[in-house]
Amino acid sequence: MDTGLIAIAAGLAVGLTGLASGWAEKDIGSAAVGAMIEDDSLFGKGLILTVLPETIVIFGLVLGIMLMGQM
Amino acid sequence: MFGRKGNYPYAVARVRGKKRMLLKGEDYSKMMVMELPEISRFLGETNYQKEMAELGGRFEGVDLIEHATYRNMARNFRSVLDFTNGELHDMLAAYLTRWDHWNVKVILRGKSFGADMESIREDLVPAGNLSEEYLNSLCSMEMGDELFAELSRKLNAPLPPSAVEAYKQFGKLTSIEDYLDKLYYERLLDAIGTNTKPKRLFRAFIQREIDIINLETILMLKEEKAPPEVILNYFIEGGLQIDRKMATNLANAEDRKALAAELVKLDFYEEIKEALESEEKPLRNVMDALRLYQIRKTETLSYLYPLSVIPVFDYMFHKKLEVDNIRIIARGKVSGLDTDTLKRLLVI
Repeated sequence: MDTGLIAIAAGLAVGLTGLASGWAEKDIGSAAVGAMIEDDSLFGKGLILTVLPETIVIFGLVLGIMLMGQM
Repeated sequence: MFGRKGNYPYAVARVRGKKRMLLKGEDYSKMMVMELPEISRFLGETNYQKEMAELGGRFEGVDLIEHATYRNMARNFRSVLDFTNGELHDMLAAYLTRWDHWNVKVILRGKSFGADMESIREDLVPAGNLSEEYLNSLCSMEMGDELFAELSRKLNAPLPPSAVEAYKQFGKLTSIEDYLDKLYYERLLDAIGTNTKPKRLFRAFIQREIDIINLETILMLKEEKAPPEVILNYFIEGGLQIDRKMATNLANAEDRKALAAELVKLDFYEEIKEALESEEKPLRNVMDALRLYQIRKTETLSYLYPLSVIPVFDYMFHKKLEVDNIRIIARGKVSGLDTDTLKRLLVI
């Protein structure tokens, strides 16, 4: 029973943070592309800003791995 | 009328990028000390490169600059319209119909003064819904019933017979122009809902613009000593702060002191106070102050509401300002104005 709940929790931690990252990156990504069309020197900045929300899913992944370690 | 949300992040990032590419204060300073051919060459190295190259064979001097700047502005506005979608696109499309009305007014004015087709086309900005081809076809029509009927059909609103009669009898276009202005704002306000924040922002923006136009009209007509009832004929309904009652009080104000006592109620009074009290050309100073206020206010709002239609307007205002400034410098150079006078005429 506990093993099953831990597995669900790990899945939720990765899945929900993945969705949250995607949601955040959607607007940043489209803004970055818009800015790059007008000035292509903004590519580096745009890329960095776009991947910043990726940290959310990394936290989720770390949490997921830690939870799996409890199984 | 407006459905779907719109691509705000993408559009706002693009217009901010476009705004960054506009001419800066130091560019104007450089242009003011240049001769006309040098200004043309300078513009050919900026965002106007494409238009200057396209039109370089057909026009020269100040005509080239005027054609190129308006064509560039129309292209930019149309491109903004093309890369937006959803309610953002719909709001911009509704807003840009102002250029249709502008173009119609330019054609009517040009025709009534007997200007040739080429000089009328010089001032057209095909940034609205009416295409360049259609506007050219209007230019080639004879001034009179045929043109009025075509305009009524295209705008889907019959021109008021009294306004047409006023033109036929006295050659005055003011009633038709006034009707077009009122029609634009009436339709625009009708089209904007209030159910979302962007729409409410857009509405407030338009209402503030109506206030400024009404105030400019009142001040201008008062300067020309027009009677209050004539002034009120030109009042556009729907403003944010100036309602008909306040407009009546302003129109009836006996002197500048009475005018100021009424204007103090406006939240932008501080912006125009100094200009209103100035001894030399107060009207021109007030107009400039109002224009600057509108631009600054839009700029501030564009930072407060970054994901709205306001940053797009902010860009459009600055673009229009840039084009006006370039034209002022070019015309000023032709007229032999000195740098100090030119500097005073520019709005930077």
